[in-house]
Amino acid sequence: MVRKLVLLLSLVLLAVPTFIGVAQEPQGLPVDLPREDLFVFDQIFRYGTVGNYNVWRTGGNTPHHHALMLETLWYRDQESGEFIYGLATSDPMYNDDFTQLNVDLREGVLWSDGVEFTADDVVFTVETIKATPELTQSGWNASLNQFLESVEKTGDYSVQFNLSQSNPRFHNLFETRWNGIYMMPKHIVEAVEGDLGAWEWTDPVVLGNYIPIDADPNGFWELFERRADPENSVAGIITGNAGPKYALSIFYGDSSRKAIAMSRGELDVYFDVDIESFETTLDTTPTARSWYTDFPWAYPNEVSTRQLAFNLEGDPLLANADVRWALALSLNMVEMQTEYIGGVAKITAIPVPPTASLSKIYHEPMEEWFVNLQIDLGDGEMYNPYDPTVSEQIAAWAEDQGFTVPGTPTEVFGYGWWKFDPEAAEKLLLKAGLTRDGSGNWLTPEGEPWVLDLQSPPDENDAFRVANAASDMWSDFGIDVSLSGLERNVWDQNRFVGQYEIATPWTTFALASGDFWPEVQSRHPKYYAPVGEDYRPLGGNSELRIQDPAVGDFIDAMAGLDPVSEENFEVNRDFLKYWTENMYFITTIAFKKFVTWDEKYWTGFPTAENPNYMPLYWFQGGKFAFQNLTPVS
Amino acid sequence: MTLLRTYILPRILQWVFVIFVGVSITFLIPRLSPVNPVENMIGRLTSFQSMDPEASNRMRETLTDLYGLDGSMLDQYISFWGRLLRGDLGPSFQNFPRPVNDIIGDGIWWTVGLLGTATLVSWVLGILLGSLAGYFPNSLWAQFLEKTVITIYPIPYYIVAFVMLMLFTFYIPAFPLVGGARGTPALTWDYISSVLYFGFLPAMSIILGSTAFRFIMAKALTSTEASSDYVRYAELAAVPQRKILLYYVIRNTMLPQVTDLALSLGTIFGGALITEIVFGYPGVGYVLFNAINSADYNIIMGITLLSIVGIATASLLVDMIYPFLDPRVRLR
Repeated sequence: MVRKLVLLLSLVLLAVPTFIGVAQEPQGLPVDLPREDLFVFDQIFRYGTVGNYNVWRTGGNTPHHHALMLETLWYRDQESGEFIYGLATSDPMYNDDFTQLNVDLREGVLWSDGVEFTADDVVFTVETIKATPELTQSGWNASLNQFLESVEKTGDYSVQFNLSQSNPRFHNLFETRWNGIYMMPKHIVEAVEGDLGAWEWTDPVVLGNYIPIDADPNGFWELFERRADPENSVAGIITGNAGPKYALSIFYGDSSRKAIAMSRGELDVYFDVDIESFETTLDTTPTARSWYTDFPWAYPNEVSTRQLAFNLEGDPLLANADVRWALALSLNMVEMQTEYIGGVAKITAIPVPPTASLSKIYHEPMEEWFVNLQIDLGDGEMYNPYDPTVSEQIAAWAEDQGFTVPGTPTEVFGYGWWKFDPEAAEKLLLKAGLTRDGSGNWLTPEGEPWVLDLQSPPDENDAFRVANAASDMWSDFGIDVSLSGLERNVWDQNRFVGQYEIATPWTTFALASGDFWPEVQSRHPKYYAPVGEDYRPLGGNSELRIQDPAVGDFIDAMAGLDPVSEENFEVNRDFLKYWTENMYFITTIAFKKFVTWDEKYWTGFPTAENPNYMPLYWFQGGKFAFQNLTPVS
Repeated sequence: MTLLRTYILPRILQWVFVIFVGVSITFLIPRLSPVNPVENMIGRLTSFQSMDPEASNRMRETLTDLYGLDGSMLDQYISFWGRLLRGDLGPSFQNFPRPVNDIIGDGIWWTVGLLGTATLVSWVLGILLGSLAGYFPNSLWAQFLEKTVITIYPIPYYIVAFVMLMLFTFYIPAFPLVGGARGTPALTWDYISSVLYFGFLPAMSIILGSTAFRFIMAKALTSTEASSDYVRYAELAAVPQRKILLYYVIRNTMLPQVTDLALSLGTIFGGALITEIVFGYPGVGYVLFNAINSADYNIIMGITLLSIVGIATASLLVDMIYPFLDPRVRLR
């Protein structure tokens, strides 16, 4: 009997998977469409709300939707820094005191139901968002109420914004970095009754090239179909290409699952993975590539940078610029960038990524200043801390590894960085009153062991690697470093209330246009919050706990200037010099992303050889990368 | 009436009290956390924006009002119970204004389906195999099963799950990587069979460990029973071994097994976070995880409420059915 029972159980265990396996084709795509019509892309998070395309409400999903479905007036390409006309056909036209903005609109753009887009849609969109506090997307309601007096139609294809106060950057609300105010179809939305914040838009009419047609109720995937007239969408007009017939987004989750999906031919592009999973992709998917075909592979020009940031009130010693400089000079950037980051990101000494366009505004013109910069090591000894050859040293390392560097060291790895000079660092610490004990470990002026608390979130791969590099190097220099890998929320909360000494946030001072003010305004000392107090309710960003009035003066000086004027850039460069002299934080590397695609089914994605548009397809301006695709066959 | 007054009613009152206290504590805990849903949403909505601080403060006021967080903690508590008694768990903050009822409704059936099935299968398998191995400890297959189980049982679940994922989606790409089914819900064979297909790997990963645990428990219980006098007597009386095992030994080991089953079924409403993350499977575990990270109070409350009710009800049911299962359990 027992044998029979065991046999029966074994048969059941074998039969069930066989039965299921026979019933199902072993492939994991959730929709059954020919691959030559279907482009599959990595959905950057799992949606909590599915099938509601009211993107203006609180909680509306923006990534992918805004690239595929939505339009605004202007796009700023993060790769080239170029201004791309979306629904506008003119630059923002301000009056002399920046209280009035005129815009000419594109003719011949149709909504997906065939109705023409006109100035009426712009006026309706702006007035509706302004009048509806429940539409909180991207803070547009609050911003419009702060700056806009009225908006009026000056023609079927032109509008005028009358501002309530002078603002040379009002048009930023309609110019994408991540997104810009999404236009509403007046003929649809004006018929909606009741609360627009609670309105569920399940059958969207779009200005973009794609219409959502199916979605997983659990938020794992979403299917879009190209509209019947792609030539009447903005992306269709600009690129002259129709784009794939269907686009499917899938949330796969972690890096290893994305690499597996690509190896199975079930993912055409992913937005990022860790370097190990990327290497797996190269091994398992011969047709896959990233920005460069070979080393250093990754896309290096997303407009942001990584810092080792000091809490000036966290450890009294960190309030001393000499100590901050000593910490910078005891870091070996060549080793950090190669051994810890794998050589795949650009270095930068300033919080501006060295993209082709931003380098021309900041890194190149400031190089001479960096080379000539001097700091006082004590006893009147002046010292030049900048090493302009760091990118060349990284290139030499790469060649030693057998890699070919696809450009000049500056183009591929950025400009210079701070010298690795423990002797100079030692002089600075001695100047600050610290001493070494018999084992060479640093003691505070009070004679206590100097312990540095360094916090970093392990889920942010590069930030955590930078933290590990810094921890190792500062330990070698004789500092007792306590590195904590904290869960994201705890880490965030500690920064908000100043409960840290050194942390690894990311920031950029520059937008792709080169403008600083929008990114640095929140660091104005008027938003200072002491340690223990959450800085967010004050409205600014006081994570460094800086009270320096000079920082506020620079920010005030930028505020009224034309954002893309040389006058503004000059103030920005002076601000960078001041910030650097004070070493308010140590900027290390620029952002990089292993945005990787498989050319098995689709080709035409932007590359280093053909950088026509930015590959950041999850941004609203990322639409052009998809629009350019053509099937391999 | 005596049974109702002295046995059933106190237990029902206890059930109500446990739920009330559990829900009240769950109301309080996320509000004491430093993570604030309004700040969290502002961070999300403006993560790539450069927003004027004045505008940001205006947005803060709007969101506080929309989320119903502008009253005192007591006001919120009273309003929460008012909504709850009407069956309304309120809106999700992160997916505003989507009702929490809808969000939980979308995920709970996957969780119940996966964990309920896996629990039942592993319970039956574990008891049957464990009892067989305990009653026939010297047979070769029993020793083989025991050694296999002892090898599997100590391996942490996330390793088992990840190995299965790598094995059956990468090296042998036989199963899907993500989702609960192909296409959108429909009463068709294609959809129903795809539910089985997509759920097979995650379910197997759970069944492996759970069966091993129940195998060990059943074997230990059976070994004890097998050495009892009544079993010896039955064997001497030439009662067939099948009958001794099924009608006497297993039946006498069922009390703790039923408790285990009831409590296991009661806990499934909390979801299976690791399974959902590793296999990309839908369910409430991942929803709860995200809600905790973003301080989405209403979702945390909704899922925790389900868990509390599930476990309290399972305990109540076990208490109620004990006397029927085992005549040795007497009132008081």
